[in-house]
Amino acid sequence: MEGARRSYGLQSPGTRGVAGAKRYGMVIDLRKCIGCMSCAVACKTEFGVPLGSWRTWVKVSDKGRFPNTRRVFMPRLCNHCDYPVCVRNCPTQATYKHKEGFVLQRYNRCIGCRTCMVACPYNARHLLPAKRTDNNLPHMVVDKCTFCVHRVKKGIVPSCVQACVGGARIFGDLNDPKSEVAVLASKERLTVLKPELGTSPSVSYIGGDWEIMDEPHSYTNRTEQLKEEFNDYKRNHEGDAFADIVEGEPTMPQIGEHAIGFLKTIPHKAADVLKAFRIFLFG
Amino acid sequence: MEESVVTFNVFHHVAWGTTISVYFWLVGASAGSFVISSFGWVFGIKRYKPLALTASVTAIGMLLLVPILLTWDLGKPVRFIYLLLPGFWHATGPMSWGTVLICSYPMAMGVYTYFVIKNDIFWARATGIIAIVLALSTHWYTGVVMELNPGRFLNHTALAPLLFLTGAFISGIGLLVLILTMQNLVVAAEKRIDWKLLIEMAQYMMYGLVFDAFLLFLEFMQSIYGSMNVVLGHEAVLMGVFKFPYFWLEIVIGLIIPFLILVSPLKRNIYAVVAASFMVCIGVYGMRVWWVMGGQYLQSFY
Repeated sequence: MEGARRSYGLQSPGTRGVAGAKRYGMVIDLRKCIGCMSCAVACKTEFGVPLGSWRTWVKVSDKGRFPNTRRVFMPRLCNHCDYPVCVRNCPTQATYKHKEGFVLQRYNRCIGCRTCMVACPYNARHLLPAKRTDNNLPHMVVDKCTFCVHRVKKGIVPSCVQACVGGARIFGDLNDPKSEVAVLASKERLTVLKPELGTSPSVSYIGGDWEIMDEPHSYTNRTEQLKEEFNDYKRNHEGDAFADIVEGEPTMPQIGEHAIGFLKTIPHKAADVLKAFRIFLFG
Repeated sequence: MEESVVTFNVFHHVAWGTTISVYFWLVGASAGSFVISSFGWVFGIKRYKPLALTASVTAIGMLLLVPILLTWDLGKPVRFIYLLLPGFWHATGPMSWGTVLICSYPMAMGVYTYFVIKNDIFWARATGIIAIVLALSTHWYTGVVMELNPGRFLNHTALAPLLFLTGAFISGIGLLVLILTMQNLVVAAEKRIDWKLLIEMAQYMMYGLVFDAFLLFLEFMQSIYGSMNVVLGHEAVLMGVFKFPYFWLEIVIGLIIPFLILVSPLKRNIYAVVAASFMVCIGVYGMRVWWVMGGQYLQSFY
């Protein structure tokens, strides 16, 4: 797993296997996952994740033919890669790789350019909306899973791990040979998502189903209902930044609509600029 | 093999959209126009000197729209200032370099244009060389910013900057032919640019089209022999959802028809040349659309 130790700018050199250093990681035992979505709900509650955005979620796939069917689950979250593309590509040092394994986001540096969202191969990042239920919460910056660093610092496991009823999510220090996560990592056959990209994820799976882990399969083998739900989601998007194309409709008129949506937001943004200058000049 | 269908998944947005596509087109057209502008003053082809000023003003005009688009696209526009502060600089981020280039390129073009107006041959040439390097680098960077995303299989190719630069060259010439034609219609007869020069420029555009077609063919070959992601990217995205910008706009309207016009006897007809130029401009915009949005499309379902 551990290759040459590379380092890019804000990326701490990998500490996996380094004596005395902590290296947090997660193993997800898919044999125990029952798809209850407790992890997703716990995460939403912990961080007040807005509607339509996810730090963690569970993908579901049905296999086989009636009556020989089974359902497989795939909990997903930021993979806290050892070599994260998002960290490399961020133009303002807003995201960085912590030496203990966390990939973290600094809201005060983020400009909302969404380069990291384009770079992330795992869809682990989202843009926080301009309007939130609590205006004191960050908005119009990119957000992501933090491995609940605020809890881990206090010796508590991440909220998704705590909420997991089947005990499928195991979190801990991979460098501590006595930790459950290290024992599993050494005994079980682990798989990671998109290993060919060389990102070296810190989230591994036991008993992963290759089809649900496969990107082309996620597109080609969707149910009709899921397709419609996708399209509804895209039709109801907010913000000019998004360019979601609804399947089955001509592309260019949709792109025209995106452009019109962009123009419609200009008055709001102008107000934003004026407000910023007012604060700058008069405090 | 047993059947397997995805029955539930959450949804993800495509992060970059129309504004980024338009921005890429503008930067490209600007760089292409500037290359033509430099023919007379930097490369010493005297017959191109009369159009240098129009070309460089077009290039500056296109580029002045870019910061407006990009800062509005940030959502909170004032935050663009972070990109200019040394404490925020991140050398591994392609966009950091892009910011430097987008800021320095119009300045270099402005200085060059000043010396062109002053008719100072030495300094126009010296500043023109710097500006042309910056022009090419600025557009090279737009390819790089798309290329350095290994998760986006359609964009992650070393040909990206070359495709972008070729698109810039042909769309810049196309745009310039349109603007010079309009200029010729309104200015006095003695100030008009020779129509033969526009026809000659269109021939350069034709060579660019051939090279563009070659690059597209290389990409196509790689896509059909590539991994399942790339194959699906070609089948479901380029020939599926994004068929209109890719196949109809870029290949048919932006490549095949202009090429046929420019190799046929019609190439001596200024109306046909203007039509071909317009089609090339539209076609390159189609390319920008699928490059930006198409590359991200497939993964939004993962």
